[in-house]
Amino acid sequence: MRIEEHPILGTYEKGRTVSFTFDGKELQGCEGEPIAIALKNAGVMVHRYTKKEHKPRGIFCAIGRCTDCVMIVNGKPNVRTCITPLEEGMEVRTQYGVGEKAEGGAQK
Amino acid sequence: MKRYDMIIVGAGPAGLSAAIEAAKRGMKVVVYDENAKPGGQLFKQIHKFFGSKEHKAKIRGFHIGEELLAEANSLGVEVVLNAIVIGLFPEKEVTVKIDDHVEHVKGDTVLIATGASENMVTFPGWTLPGVIGAGAAQTMMNLHGTLPGKRVLMLGSGNVGLVVSFQLMQAGCEVVALADAAPRVGGYGVHAAKVARCGVPFYLSHTIVKADGDEYVTGVTIGEVDKNWQVIPGTEKHFDVDTICLAVGLSPMSKLADMAGCAMEDNPAKAGFVPTVDKYGETSISGIYAAGDVSGIEEASSAMIEGRIAGIAAAAKLGFISEEECEAEVAKQETALDGLRQGMFAPGMRGKMITETEEGVEISQNLLKKGFVADEEIERFPGVTHNTGVHPVIECTQNIPCNPCQDACPKHCIKIGSNITALPAIDPEQKCTGCGMCVASCSGQAIFLVNEDCGDGTAEITLPYEFLPLPEKGAKGTALSRSGEAVCEAEVVNVRSAKAFDHTHLLTMKVPKEYAMKARFFKEAAKS
Repeated sequence: MRIEEHPILGTYEKGRTVSFTFDGKELQGCEGEPIAIALKNAGVMVHRYTKKEHKPRGIFCAIGRCTDCVMIVNGKPNVRTCITPLEEGMEVRTQYGVGEKAEGGAQK
Repeated sequence: MKRYDMIIVGAGPAGLSAAIEAAKRGMKVVVYDENAKPGGQLFKQIHKFFGSKEHKAKIRGFHIGEELLAEANSLGVEVVLNAIVIGLFPEKEVTVKIDDHVEHVKGDTVLIATGASENMVTFPGWTLPGVIGAGAAQTMMNLHGTLPGKRVLMLGSGNVGLVVSFQLMQAGCEVVALADAAPRVGGYGVHAAKVARCGVPFYLSHTIVKADGDEYVTGVTIGEVDKNWQVIPGTEKHFDVDTICLAVGLSPMSKLADMAGCAMEDNPAKAGFVPTVDKYGETSISGIYAAGDVSGIEEASSAMIEGRIAGIAAAAKLGFISEEECEAEVAKQETALDGLRQGMFAPGMRGKMITETEEGVEISQNLLKKGFVADEEIERFPGVTHNTGVHPVIECTQNIPCNPCQDACPKHCIKIGSNITALPAIDPEQKCTGCGMCVASCSGQAIFLVNEDCGDGTAEITLPYEFLPLPEKGAKGTALSRSGEAVCEAEVVNVRSAKAFDHTHLLTMKVPKEYAMKARFFKEAAKS
């Protein structure tokens, strides 16, 4: 949920609204904000599932340190969504395990 | 290979302060920071800082960050962002990863100002989405304008847990409870009190038993712990929450110092594994310095001074200033640092049980156990006096390094003296005009203006208010006690806002006069 007006900070400077996809579904966020923030505001909590036990993970540290929030972004796995700025048209996907690879070794 | 007079790792309060002092003296300085924005955690700090004028007291952290950045820029400091320092070698060579390449740079001096990372605790369910660090909550709210959740349980009653709990409420979250396994509140009592009077219950000697939820957090169970930290069966309490926020301490991020071969120590007084440093912040390797949380967890205010000292010392080491000038400048900074390191929260006091203030006043045990000073305890503190007409009531009950209230009062009603940790006292000879500058200047939001008897059976209480929506004059609602309990009906009779108050509004409410010393917060009735 976005904070419309903050008692100390007032309103926030945000980028223009852009579309991106999450597991193929179109969502909207603010350009330049972390992907994780756009997902959080769209109600997405689970970013990935762990490899061995298939346990959900989401935002934990929000400063790029813990790697809990990694996802597949534009085909590249293990992208720390809490510090990667959102761009128009980004393809964001839930990551299962350490991220899949397409045939021939190229990252899908 | 690029060369610099000083390479600084970390553009937080310590790193930027060092860069300013070094650049001011003619040094060529570069600051590397792994983040996309400089300032470290300062830009997430929206509360007014403690200390005195020289420590930038009563200025909000993010404004201090803006000031530091502007000063560093005007001095020509090169700040390189998205730059991760991956190597530091004894010869003061640094390898830094920028985008997808690695650069190798050489410094004649190096400052490690990498700060700290958050500690975590584990419990069943702790890896669920919705369990977040307190820093993450601050990042979401204060940088990105996003609520971490609707209903939050905070674990940790240190200053971070207390300050972030308040920030969560300012942003619009409900904080359902604040728990800590420790038997006493760890942070400043004034921070606890401003959370408690909003109605947040404190559960000391309580820890998290488990977090509920399959895909994300849907609830939390806490339980009371015995003296061996084991949960006592039957004491479990459940809360429906969507967010669990962990504020269980910080650890120095000292890996670079260790990697370079600096002598290290495991020092509980510094909250972890730190490089040993001398009074200039210099490690065992000549020309490699450490400042800020990386050399011992403290506040940003002390990190800034440590950074300044390291910058000055590095300038002397390379001959940009004389030894004499260095000694004189460092002595000034040390005096400022000593001022902050006094009182019952000084670094050397960690874990000590304190029963009395420096003045010999018995500490409020209720404050330590429940987060607020009990009615029967409040009268014994020197800031709490009675008078006719409007007068300040200062509910500042612990020796913390802070004195803006003394300077704020144009009538000199408030006395702290030269020892900034002393409890503020009221000079009954001086006449309060009710201007409210003290209320707005108190970083702990512990000052109230009270007119105990308006002559018509009512009393008026002016309190600091930093929430939205701001009630308007004439608004009706409930007055809450220090514990956050509803005590009586109240009506807002005045709301003052001014640039000098810096977003702390002064809300004056009218209550029956028997509640003059009990009512400390206003909750507006829901509008129909």
